Amino acid sequence: MRLRGSDPHTLAGAYAMDAVDEPDRVRFERHLAGCEPCRQEVRGLREATAALAAATAVRPPAALRDATLRAAGQTRQMPAAPAGRPGPNRRRRLVLGLTAGAAAVVVAAAVVVGVSASGMQGRLDQAQQHDHAVASVLSAPDATMLSGPVRTGGTATVVMSHRERALVFTAADLRGLPSAKRYELWLMGPSGDRPAGMVTASPHGGMAGPMVVSGLLAGDSVGLTVEPASGSHQPTAPPVLMISLG
Amino acid sequence: MTEGQPGPAHGRDTHADELGVLLTRVARGDLAAYEAVYDRTAGQVLGIVLAVLRDPAQSEEVAQEVLLDVWRSASRFDADRGSAGAWLATLAHRRAVDRVRSEQKAAEREMRVASSTVAYDEVTEAVEARLDRERVRRCLSSLTELQRESVTLAYYGGYTYREVADLLGVAVGTVKTRMRDGLIRLRDCLGVDA
Repeated sequence: MRLRGSDPHTLAGAYAMDAVDEPDRVRFERHLAGCEPCRQEVRGLREATAALAAATAVRPPAALRDATLRAAGQTRQMPAAPAGRPGPNRRRRLVLGLTAGAAAVVVAAAVVVGVSASGMQGRLDQAQQHDHAVASVLSAPDATMLSGPVRTGGTATVVMSHRERALVFTAADLRGLPSAKRYELWLMGPSGDRPAGMVTASPHGGMAGPMVVSGLLAGDSVGLTVEPASGSHQPTAPPVLMISLG
Repeated sequence: MTEGQPGPAHGRDTHADELGVLLTRVARGDLAAYEAVYDRTAGQVLGIVLAVLRDPAQSEEVAQEVLLDVWRSASRFDADRGSAGAWLATLAHRRAVDRVRSEQKAAEREMRVASSTVAYDEVTEAVEARLDRERVRRCLSSLTELQRESVTLAYYGGYTYREVADLLGVAVGTVKTRMRDGLIRLRDCLGVDA
């Protein structure tokens, strides 16, 4: 599809109206992560769509109010602090510390959209399976978001669920590496260091991930090291990022 | 504002700020603040979901999901990234569109795409019945025909830009451009730039 390679910027209008399919959305959000003017434009266009939404306001039935407020009283908020952990203040700070790009991609990846009539079924199925894995972590009742700076530049964000024994990793603005090197993600803990996948940094300082890592064990931390491009079985350099998963 | 009434489209700025402050309280688990957020936004949430889905029973169900989502994910609202109103409208619209797209079987959808003039008339009719906000209507009418059709089908019809291109029999690239230009013109006309 040649059009997919055209100037991504023209997609800002369609994107602001959710008039994009999932592959387009993911691609455009990658573009957004590294393009501040584009984010600003989307922000403005979203305000216009909000006015379009406001123009359709109706009077909601009273029963909806009762049902919704009752349900809210019984619904856990996210990010939920796991039992026995310090209260919401720390969480909130972490969440607010997220880069806009990381949040956008994590949230976008969580949204699983039905397949429209196109000839891309296979690729979409694959993308959907990945999205399902991401979504099951993000929607877990104990999902917790943690964020930390990468020592060599950039910000990493992790959403983890002990219940799902899995986490979703994204990173924004990782520093580019020489071609012989790549970032490698690790689970590091009492049970040893386990490789969790190679992370490809976008050459334009955009978004890496979302990657789903399963097999989370108690006491694990997430670590990121710079390794030979082929990957290592054990870390060969001190981590440039460590996030304790508690 | 009395309970359950649709929020006015004017005086947005103060409302937007108040809503943002309320949302930060909701993020801390404040149910009273949530009630206030509900009263300010439920009419708009239901309105946009109804515009996209058309089916009242299903729309109420989706609107409730959206409003609960506001409770669950209030901490994700970030005032630096746009107004509280835009955050909410995005949540509601995206959820409605997701529902439309996931429920429609590919064949059904193809059929819808095939009947082009019917679709546009249907969407505009359904929307115009509720589109009683004079300012938005005036600004929409300031767009070129193709811009207006593209924006209306995408936002109120829940179609992707590719489907809109099929519906209107126009090149995909043209539709993308018209959507962007149309929204930019709308934004400027409404004076709502972030």
